[in-house]
Amino acid sequence: MAIPVKDDTKLVTVKIDDKEYQVPAGANLVDLAKWYADNDIPVFCYHPKLEPVGMCRMCLVELGSIMRDRETGDVVLDDNGEPTVRWFPKLQTACTQTASDGMVVRTNTEAVDETRENVLEFLLTSHPLDCPICDKGGECPLQNLTMEHGPQESRMIYSDKMHLQKHVPLGDLIFLDRERCIQCARCVRFQDELVGDAVLGFHERGRRLQIITSSDPGFDTYFSGNTTDICPVGALTTADFRFGARPWEMTEIPSISPWDAAGENISLSMRLDRDFGGRAMIKRVMPRQNEYVNELWISDKTRFGHHFTRSLDRLVEPMVSFGDKLTDQSWNDAYKAAVTALEGASGDVAAIAGGAISNEDLWELRQLVEGLGGSRLGAWPPTHGGADLVAEVGVGQDTNLKELGAGDAILVVASDLEEEVPIWRLRLKRAQDRGAYLVVANARPTRMEEFALDTQRNDKPVEGAAVRYAPGEAAAAISDLKSSNKDVYDRLADATNLVVVAGADGLDLDGNKALMQACANLLIETDHVGKANNGLMSPIPGPNGMGLHYLGYTPEVTQDIVANPPKVLIVAQAEPAEDDPTATEWLSKVDTVITLSLFPDRTTSYASIVLPIQSFAERDGTFVNGERRVQRFYTAQGPLGEAVPAWKILTTIREKLGQGRAKLSAAAVMLEITKNVDVFAEMRYKNLSQVTRQFPEIGGDDLYYGGTAYQNRGGLGIQIPSAADSGKVKAGKVASVKATKASKGELIALPITELYNRSNAFMPSGLVHARVAVPYVTLSSSDADDLGLVDGDLVEVSFEGGAVRVRATVGDVPAGVALLPQHLTDEPTPIVPTVVTLSKIAQPVLA
Amino acid sequence: MALKEKYNDRIQLHLSKYPDSRSAVMPLLYIAQEEYGYVNDQGVDEVAEILDLDPTQVRSIAGFYTMYSEKPKGKYWLQVCTDLACALNGADEFHKALKDYLGVEEGGTTEDGLFTVEHVMCLAACDKAPMLQCNFHFMEDLDMDKMKAWVEEKRAEYQAELDAK
Repeated sequence: MAIPVKDDTKLVTVKIDDKEYQVPAGANLVDLAKWYADNDIPVFCYHPKLEPVGMCRMCLVELGSIMRDRETGDVVLDDNGEPTVRWFPKLQTACTQTASDGMVVRTNTEAVDETRENVLEFLLTSHPLDCPICDKGGECPLQNLTMEHGPQESRMIYSDKMHLQKHVPLGDLIFLDRERCIQCARCVRFQDELVGDAVLGFHERGRRLQIITSSDPGFDTYFSGNTTDICPVGALTTADFRFGARPWEMTEIPSISPWDAAGENISLSMRLDRDFGGRAMIKRVMPRQNEYVNELWISDKTRFGHHFTRSLDRLVEPMVSFGDKLTDQSWNDAYKAAVTALEGASGDVAAIAGGAISNEDLWELRQLVEGLGGSRLGAWPPTHGGADLVAEVGVGQDTNLKELGAGDAILVVASDLEEEVPIWRLRLKRAQDRGAYLVVANARPTRMEEFALDTQRNDKPVEGAAVRYAPGEAAAAISDLKSSNKDVYDRLADATNLVVVAGADGLDLDGNKALMQACANLLIETDHVGKANNGLMSPIPGPNGMGLHYLGYTPEVTQDIVANPPKVLIVAQAEPAEDDPTATEWLSKVDTVITLSLFPDRTTSYASIVLPIQSFAERDGTFVNGERRVQRFYTAQGPLGEAVPAWKILTTIREKLGQGRAKLSAAAVMLEITKNVDVFAEMRYKNLSQVTRQFPEIGGDDLYYGGTAYQNRGGLGIQIPSAADSGKVKAGKVASVKATKASKGELIALPITELYNRSNAFMPSGLVHARVAVPYVTLSSSDADDLGLVDGDLVEVSFEGGAVRVRATVGDVPAGVALLPQHLTDEPTPIVPTVVTLSKIAQPVLA
Repeated sequence: MALKEKYNDRIQLHLSKYPDSRSAVMPLLYIAQEEYGYVNDQGVDEVAEILDLDPTQVRSIAGFYTMYSEKPKGKYWLQVCTDLACALNGADEFHKALKDYLGVEEGGTTEDGLFTVEHVMCLAACDKAPMLQCNFHFMEDLDMDKMKAWVEEKRAEYQAELDAK
């Protein structure tokens, strides 16, 4: 892999410090010097993922070109027969130069050295000398470059230093130290260019130039933490980590984000910590480079949502109920109880597993259930079908969303990507910036739709279209696109590459499955399957939604389990009664519920055996992300109480049931999977941990180049080929969908996703509480008028299985439906479109 | 009343001048400054809304250019040029005398809220030095006698207004 350029890019010869290199024409000079010549040109404002601006002047080099005779085109030779170089009279910023034939660069001359020293002296005129208490100290580009190139002594008068505010909260999560800021504008540009929320800006000018936000709320995006990584000084720090530890005290453990289908590669910064009884504790979560998955970025949920792994609310002891209530028991007694219950089920055993459980756990669970004669394996939540279609026509091998651009197209249907999979939203928006045509289809407005409707971004034209369909009509909208919206259809059909993201926003399982089939058909019809950067993705909840599919867990079976409860049900890292108001009804029909849980919750209260499992941070395992990439995470955090990895609990129970010897490691479980499940044949741990050189090359001594995102040492993972990658696939029939109907006076509540919510796993991250929305329901103004409601009214929303009290908001939604976010209220709310009634409880409280 | 209603004609005129509406941010900020006496948060929010920009972007523009004032000013904002040509014609002395007469520091405002004095860089009227700019209108060939008369005239006007109320 080299600097990514188009196939038809020609190579040119560039001379760097008297050595010649063949490099792609048009490549950035800083990038190519590093990549080809291992020559780290120091930078502050340049970042390989941002547009160059040439602001900091740190990258000045001597630049020239080989002279050619204007008439003959021959190289002009000097007296010694060497080519004559025409030098620029002054130094040039390398970051704003691109490679052209005959370019000559010198970085090791006296003039360059002197310039570097001068620029540093200038930057340091008023920089505070608080490195010993600065969070960046130890991994600070300014510190490193000062040691390397800076002046030894200051010529400045100490008392003339500018003193500025040192603790400016830019939002709830990020603090700004105005004295440390060197005005590189990386954070401003990150927000402008990558995120598309221009909430950071410069104020005043010259020596008084400083970063501000005047937005309300302030620096409040789902990606704000990334600015602290690319900040080349300690000016931006996170409220979560500031003053928490020094970089050199921590050990970096590769891991995978436990939240969503993106499977962001992360690095857990671990330290043996007093606050955690001397055990290894997560001090911070940092991005780990994987150019296929998350590049150098992670969402704030991933960065700040790690506190649940050591929450005091975690289950730390097995519990068994002998009749009335659950009591703490030893593992021996808990195993005994489990074995007795399972043996007594005479084969009527089923399991439901959530999307955050690892493949190893899923395999052992499946072996256990099948070994007892059961066959029903359900996926939770039963809202997202179509994983089989992702396996069939999912994005092709070597897909990389960052390669999408001009001539390509993206279709996002029935998904609020910003809330569901923020990293996909970041990367797909970026693809639109590069020229891809973005179509967003939904029954309601979303952030992604705003992007689709933009015509211009950062002074460049962007293209897109929005399609609004009637609630529940997603599949029909896609199937009929050719007739109903020919322009849009043609753009998608004619695109060089087409990626479709289809979700379940506002749909039930049947609606989602029909939509997935319609999308698969669109891809097959227009020949956009079986090749890189083409195909289907789905924001199935949890980091291992596709793992559920590949190991045989389906939402259809969950529906069957709900309809026909088994004698013994194993609920593995799923919280049905927390998610779904109707779950208590069917859970109470099961004789024995055994749960493998992180937290005591509504589901465990229906269980007679509750087994505490370890979180992703305490153990090894693998997840399959939404692009079907199998990725490995490693043991980082010290163990909590008696909790044990789920696979270990299951393998032990199997041994006690006489199903063979218990396995000793997650690697051994994976080895067994590779031998039994075809698609996993290549997925041995050793293979999953392979790393190849990635562009841009970050994480070396030159932290100034890529920021503090970590180098990938844990593996890039391996993508499971889709069926279309290895053979022909055929379009299927789109089933007709029965719409949910409401009578007069009723509305249909569409469940929607809020990234920050009050789920058990997210609540322990107290820092983010202020940003969790007040529970609300959004309805159309016509429905609000009919019901006599105004914005801000407290209303009771009643539905089958319960009722919640929330604030009414009037918004841009179709008449007859109401948006009811999940996991904002203490009580569960419907997980599929459901008939509800609204009644007013109180007037809005006036401030 | 919001800027959009009160100055709709002027705002539309400015918007019609540019292919991209965001280019109108500077003229609109002048309108906001005129209305509120300085560029306040409300003005920034309103301009941002009209142009579909983020308030931070608008605030950045207001912060960069010194002809936008981000602090409340007196009714008469007196910007005395003290650049070289003016200085040679006694602008420094004039500037100091004016401040002394009004009893304010550099950038300060008189207690009655009428006058703010500050010095600025060249206003391109070197031949008429000393000179100043009052609410963006030039007052040229000044001396303290002329200035005192003008100040007293404005004070009297203001007093008359108060009395009328």
